[in-house]
Amino acid sequence: MRKFLTLFVVSFFSLTSIVSAEVDFTGKTITWVVPFKEGGGTSRFARFIQPFLTKYLPGNPDIQVMHIPGGGAIKGSNYFQENAKADGTFLFGCSTSVIVNVATGNPLVKYNLSEYRPVLLLPQNTHWFTRSDLATEPHDLSKLIERDLVLYALKTPASADLFHIWVFDKLGLKGAKPIPGLSSSGGYQAFLRGEIHISSHGAANYVKKVKPEIEQGKVVDLMTLGIIGADGSVSRNPLAPDAPTFPEMYEKINGKKLEGDDLEAFYSIGAAWSQASKSMLLPENTPDEIVDVFREAARKMVNDPEFKEKASKALGPFPLIIGEEAGEIVKKAAIFSDTTKDQLNAVLKKNRFTYQVQ
Amino acid sequence: MDQLFAALFQLFELNHLAFLFAGTMLGLVVGILPGMGGTSGLALVLPFVFTMEPSYALAMMIGVLAPTTTSDTFPAVLMGVPGTSGSQATVMDGFPLSKKGMAARALSAAFSASLLGGIFGAFILSVSIYYAIPIIMAFGFGEQFLLVVLALLMVGALTGDNFIKGLTSCFLGLIIGTIGTAPITGDPRYTFDTLYLIEGVPLVVVGLGLFAIPEIVGLLNSQGSIAKTLKNEKGWATGVKDVFKNWFLVLRCSTLGCLVGALPGLGGTVVDWIAYSHLKQTTKDTSQFGKGDIRGVIAPEAANNAKEGGALIPTLIFGIPGSGNKVLLLGGFVLIGIEPGLDMVTTNLDLTYLMIWSLALANILGAGICVAFAPHISKFTLVPYYILAPVMVCLIFFATFNINRDWYDFIGLLGFGLIGITFKNFGWSRPALLIGFFLSTKVELLSYQTHAVYGLSFLFRPVSIVLMILCLLTILLLLRQRFESNYSADLAANKSGQIFYVLVLMCLPLSMIWVTSNLDYRANLFPISLSIIAVILLNFILCVKIADLRQLKLLQHPIMNFARSNIFEITTGFNKQFHYFVSFVGFLFLNFIFGFPIASALFINLFILFHDRKAYRVSLSISAILLLILWMLSSLLTLQFPNGAIGFLIELPWWLGGELN
Repeated sequence: MRKFLTLFVVSFFSLTSIVSAEVDFTGKTITWVVPFKEGGGTSRFARFIQPFLTKYLPGNPDIQVMHIPGGGAIKGSNYFQENAKADGTFLFGCSTSVIVNVATGNPLVKYNLSEYRPVLLLPQNTHWFTRSDLATEPHDLSKLIERDLVLYALKTPASADLFHIWVFDKLGLKGAKPIPGLSSSGGYQAFLRGEIHISSHGAANYVKKVKPEIEQGKVVDLMTLGIIGADGSVSRNPLAPDAPTFPEMYEKINGKKLEGDDLEAFYSIGAAWSQASKSMLLPENTPDEIVDVFREAARKMVNDPEFKEKASKALGPFPLIIGEEAGEIVKKAAIFSDTTKDQLNAVLKKNRFTYQVQ
Repeated sequence: MDQLFAALFQLFELNHLAFLFAGTMLGLVVGILPGMGGTSGLALVLPFVFTMEPSYALAMMIGVLAPTTTSDTFPAVLMGVPGTSGSQATVMDGFPLSKKGMAARALSAAFSASLLGGIFGAFILSVSIYYAIPIIMAFGFGEQFLLVVLALLMVGALTGDNFIKGLTSCFLGLIIGTIGTAPITGDPRYTFDTLYLIEGVPLVVVGLGLFAIPEIVGLLNSQGSIAKTLKNEKGWATGVKDVFKNWFLVLRCSTLGCLVGALPGLGGTVVDWIAYSHLKQTTKDTSQFGKGDIRGVIAPEAANNAKEGGALIPTLIFGIPGSGNKVLLLGGFVLIGIEPGLDMVTTNLDLTYLMIWSLALANILGAGICVAFAPHISKFTLVPYYILAPVMVCLIFFATFNINRDWYDFIGLLGFGLIGITFKNFGWSRPALLIGFFLSTKVELLSYQTHAVYGLSFLFRPVSIVLMILCLLTILLLLRQRFESNYSADLAANKSGQIFYVLVLMCLPLSMIWVTSNLDYRANLFPISLSIIAVILLNFILCVKIADLRQLKLLQHPIMNFARSNIFEITTGFNKQFHYFVSFVGFLFLNFIFGFPIASALFINLFILFHDRKAYRVSLSISAILLLILWMLSSLLTLQFPNGAIGFLIELPWWLGGELN
């Protein structure tokens, strides 16, 4: 059966490559719009992929990364919506904050993200941890749940950090109180000084900064967001294999499985926050054959030995998501259902934020 | 320790050296151009650094900062005009020495003292890095909050000619800093529903507008100052010997420079005067001071280079700028993705060491180049300013545009340019405005964070108590100071204009209150309280000004000295400066019509030919070189320059504003 499937997949690809032979970028320049400043995460992501893409796209086109920062990434995204041609000569570098602008209904957004055609997604994962004196053992929340005050860092409620509020609410941390205006690094510093109680980091900083503290016994793991598979299953993060995922923790504390509205919200949040952390998209209405050419180039890129060697350092440990599956994830991330929005608004209100998801 | 030397070897890689060298050269040039200093220099390189690797960018930025206080001695000694605000005291004895025919001696003494001071500063910085971790751990939200307050107090009080005006400048900066998304609730504040203001006013726009533009118009106004060349000057060796004879003075002034530099916010504008007065107090024979005493050159130069190392201490470990130009350095950190704080002494320690070595090396390079090429470099002071000025204006416009690629930034730049010109002429403090602007968000967040974590209990923590005592001492010292007026208010012309200006300034806080009053209290508490204080201070200034004008008795009381001294400024040539400023606005309109590259070429030609009809060769070649550079940069950075209306009529290459692809 498996052999059949492989055969099928291989023949399918060779078929598409025959079709796509007509698409040729010889002598063309592709503009990759990044709505952030040079040097940021999305910029680094684009610059890392850029040479491989040139190598594997038919005709080896030049790819220029064009940075249009400002307006909380809305300016560049709107620019892309209004100027990009759907002929494969325009690419969009997207990140969680671009998605959150759409998902939370920012009125300045003019870009139709959910209809964009994804080429590849780069997932990310969040680790939560606490000081060792605030937990009886690793992965134990009971001591924190009893506390009257559990402080954590929150950049602004109008960013992806909003999801922290939801996560802690669902875990029954009654004392949880966000301290606004702290970046993850500033928050971690305050955490080490003992000023806040729970802190979080992405994979790269977790390995670099938090792991040494865990080894010294000062800090203990609490949980990770978990890696969401194509079928909706959630598996543990290989960087902290002992730490439970959020759904596991939810079940342990609430005594029931994560399901219904909560599960739906989790999938949306996970898609925006984790699965589509960084992504490369083509404009809406890009013809299928062009999208396929890009996806095929991305697949070839992933198997490039040089890419394999450098990717884990430059992009993190999680494999890229390529193809139609990616489209579903972007849709899920960009369009929050009304019940999910209600849930987020409820926790925002509970924490006395005036900001509301629209 | 390994990392310390690893960083040194890294620095000696060709690429790092090249960037450091490029930065140093730029730093030397902006240092020589009178009035332009590290702030303008950094603002010019910021738009380019974020395409670089962080370590290259750091080498380059430090390269720009370090030698400005070395090369600024050229105009100070040769023209009697300080090259940066840090060399005001150098003029006191440097210019008389030059008039006596001892320019070479003065310069070589200044360069040697600068070199030693700079290296001393780098050394102190590297030592303090070893003790940084416990310091960072001891400084929680509350302590950081008090540290920021101390910084604002010092910069507000010390950088203005008048205590109250300096403090008010600081508050106005804080208010401008609150424009944009409210950090706590996410509400847009004072943005008038535009996208442009949602992240606040860009730092580079404020920096270049406040510092570069006023200096350019100021110098255009004072054109024709006669500089001395260094032909047949001797005495280079004597100057070096002077420094070694006074080694203890160099050591004391370097220490002083480091200490003053390390106090947050205070920075470069006062350190040279502090060193100079220290010298006066500790010397028995003061008869030669002001007439050409070589020690009067050595003391301020050692101090103003040593302060760079000291000022990096609060900048690196707390993200609180040690001086005005460190604000832009911090802006650069953000661009290349470095966050000051604990990371600088743990995971990014290699970068910190790289900066320390860069600082030391840039000082050596800077001083070396200054000595080796002094006769050539000194010719820089002979270039007529009407040739330099239009090129600098184009450069500033370009740097501004490259930050956000936004037309509005030009308008912002000219707006802040106007604020800068009026601030400079009417005796308000530009450094205070800049640092207030930069620290505004930090103050707001820290006050909220402190409240959430500690309530009021933070006031009883030991470090807090020390900081509060320091704050009180600063205020007391300032009030007890005699506030000698440099010039009597009788000389000041345009008094009614200056009074009217206060009323104009009042519009900002009043409109801020008006616009934000209907927001959530956590979004408007901070801007409204700041605005109320600013309105009170402005009204107070208004009263003092009017009382001074009417010569009321009340004001003659010695207690009122702190408010009365320098309440009016002597504004000579303000109108002429304003005319030059209007020509920059004309340049902006040329941009709207022709797009940036063509408008620049036109502007340079028009400006130079207006001043000297015969200089068409110069103007044509300069504009041709500029176009060539713009063309190269455009392909290098994938940069489409602002296009003008003409682009809709004629087909142009894309970098001139034509269609993409």
